Amino acid sequence: MTTATFDLPVGSQKSTSAAGIAIALLLPIALVNAIGFILPVLNLARMSFNEALPGGGIADAFTVANWTGLLQDGFYIELITNSIVVSLGITLATLLVSYPIALYLHRASGAWRTFLTVLVISPLLTSAVVRTYGWIALLADQGPVANAIAAMGFQPPRMMFNTTGVVIGLTEILMPYMILSLMAGFGRLDPKVEEAARTLGATPFRTFRRVILPLTVPGIALGCLLCFVLAISSFITPKLMGGGRVFLLATEIYDQAIVTLNWPLAATLSMLVLIIFGAALAVYSRILRMIEG
Amino acid sequence: MMHQTIKRDGVETVGDPYLCLEGVNKKYGLVEVISNLNLEVRKGELIALLGPSGCGKTTTLRMIAGLIAPTAGRIAVGGRDVTHIAPHGRDMGLVFQSYALFPHMTVAKNVAFGLEMRDLSRAEIAQKVAKALAMVQLEHLAGRKPRELSGGQQQRVALARALVIEPSILLLDEPLSNLDAKLRDEMRAQIRDIQQQLGITTVFVTHDQVEALSMCDRIVVMKGGLIEQVGTPHEIYERPATPFVASFVGRTNRVKGKCMVDGGIQIGSSIIRAASVETPGDVTVMVRPHRILIDWDATSTGQGETANRIAASLSRITFVGDVIQFHFDVDGCEFIVEESTKKAQATHRPGEKAMLSWNVGDTLVFGADQ
Repeated sequence: MTTATFDLPVGSQKSTSAAGIAIALLLPIALVNAIGFILPVLNLARMSFNEALPGGGIADAFTVANWTGLLQDGFYIELITNSIVVSLGITLATLLVSYPIALYLHRASGAWRTFLTVLVISPLLTSAVVRTYGWIALLADQGPVANAIAAMGFQPPRMMFNTTGVVIGLTEILMPYMILSLMAGFGRLDPKVEEAARTLGATPFRTFRRVILPLTVPGIALGCLLCFVLAISSFITPKLMGGGRVFLLATEIYDQAIVTLNWPLAATLSMLVLIIFGAALAVYSRILRMIEG
Repeated sequence: MMHQTIKRDGVETVGDPYLCLEGVNKKYGLVEVISNLNLEVRKGELIALLGPSGCGKTTTLRMIAGLIAPTAGRIAVGGRDVTHIAPHGRDMGLVFQSYALFPHMTVAKNVAFGLEMRDLSRAEIAQKVAKALAMVQLEHLAGRKPRELSGGQQQRVALARALVIEPSILLLDEPLSNLDAKLRDEMRAQIRDIQQQLGITTVFVTHDQVEALSMCDRIVVMKGGLIEQVGTPHEIYERPATPFVASFVGRTNRVKGKCMVDGGIQIGSSIIRAASVETPGDVTVMVRPHRILIDWDATSTGQGETANRIAASLSRITFVGDVIQFHFDVDGCEFIVEESTKKAQATHRPGEKAMLSWNVGDTLVFGADQ
C-alpha cells in the first residue's frame, strides 16, 4: 500500500502518505497491545463484577459484592495498607542506597563509567528467582550474615521469612532500576552549577540540599514511581522470602486465582492494584508539573 | 617579581600585590599543565589571562577559586594564604562561561543564594539583591527563571550573583564568549564600568585579544602552562617579549632574516634595521601590517634614516571591508600591508612594483631560538 502512495505527485499528498506510513508502522503494535493487554484488562474488569461460586465456579452476573466485601473485610484492608506501606518502605530503602551510586556514576566519565554502568546493570542478567535464593542463603538463621552478627556478640535478628527479608531482597533486586532511572533524571545536574554554589559560599552539605537535591527530583520521582510499581506487583521474592507469612497483594492474587480458585476476587484485587498504579502515576505527574511550574 | 607601574588616567600608581600566586604548579598525572606560575595582582586591578585554549588560563582561574588544588605552590589574597581553603571559604565571585545559573531558582533567588549562605537577614538580602539587579538593569526580571532569559540577560544575572556577595576577588571565565558580537561590545563596556565603579580586583580569562586589550589594566599572555609576558595592553602590543606574543596579540607579518655583525638584518636582497639588536645569526622579523606604508612610485627615494625601505612586488589584493590587504612578495617572503578602504585604491594589479617602508621602531626582531 505504501508504494502506491509514494508514486503520488509531491504536494498536499505528501502529508497524507506520511500519515499512511505512520499508521502502517503503528498498526502491528496497536493490535498486539489491544489483543494482549487492553482486552484482557477489560475482561479482568468485567470478571471483578462476576459472582464467585464455591469450588471455583463463576456465575455470570453484575454484582459489586466483590468490591464491597473487599473494603469491609479487615483482612483485606490490612493487606492493602500493608502492601502499600511495605512497597513504600522498599522504594525508600532502594532510593537511599541507590542515590549515592547514581550520583557517583553520573560524575564518572570514560571507560570507568562504562564499566561501572555495566556492573550496575549486570544483576538484571540474573533471574530474580536465583537472586532471591541467594538472599535466602545469606540471611538464613545460620547464614553468614547471622553468624557474623553473632560473632560480634549480638543476638542476630530474624531476617528471613518475614517482612525484613522481603524488604532486603526486593531492595537489592530493584536497585538497578532505581539507579538507571536516577541517572536518566539527572540531566539537569551540571557540575558547573555545583561549583557555582561552592564559590558562592555553600558548604558541601548546603550545596547538596539547596542545589543537587532539587535538581535531581525528576530522577528521584521517576525511580520511585518505577520501584514502587515493581515492588507492589512483585510476586516471586515476597513468596519465597516471606515464607508464606508475609501477605502482600501480588501473593494474595496468586493464592486466590490458583489455590482458592476465586477468580472474581483475584480480578477485583488485580483491578485494585491497577488503581494504585494510577494513583502513583498521578502523584508522579503532579511532582513533575510542580518542578516545571 | 616584577614591580611595573600601571598607568591609568595618566596617573602612575604602584600598588601592593593583593592576589599572589607563588610557584604554582599543576600536574595531572605526569602532564604538567601549569609550571611554576608567579603572578601578582594589585588591589582594584583588572588583569586578563590571555592565551589559546589549553594554555592553562582556566586552570589557573579555577585554582584561584579553589575548585582545583595546585600540585605545588602558594596562593594568597590580601596576605592570607588560601591555598588549602575550600572554595566556600574563599569569598570569591566566579562568573562561569556557561553562566551556571541555578535552573530551579528565579533570578532573584539566584542572586540571593550567596547572601543566604552567609545567613544574612531577609530584609538585608532583599535590599542587596534589588541593588545588584539594578546595577545590571534586570530589576524587571527578578521573578523569571533562567531558561526564560536571553544569553545576555543570563550573563548579567551571573555577574550580579557573583558581585552581590562583595567578593574579595571577581573571577571571570570567558564570560563573553557565548554572546553575539554586538552584545559582547556592550557587555565589555558594562563589565569594565562596574569593575571600575566597585574598584574590585578582577581576573579575566579570555582567548580574545581584543577583549584583553580593550578592558584590562594588565595582560598575562600564557602558552603551554607558562607565562609568556605580563604587561599593560600597550606594552604587550608594542613590545611583545616573544614571537608568540607578537603573533597572538594583533596581526603581524612574520619573515625569516639574517642578523649581521653590523646590526643590519638581511631579508632577501634587502637590508633593514631594528631598534633592538640581536646576536648575529638567523632571526625572525615581525612588522604589524598597518604600520607599513606603500610607495607605489618605486623609484622615489626614502623618507629618511629612521625608515626601513624594501622593494616588493604586489601578488594579491584581499578586500576585508574596513581594510584592504595588499600581499607583497619580497624575494620569496610574504608581507601583508593593510590600508583603510577609504585610502586604498583598487586600481593596483598583481605584479606591480612598490617600495614598502616602516619605522625602525616598528620592527620587532627575535632570535632564532625563540
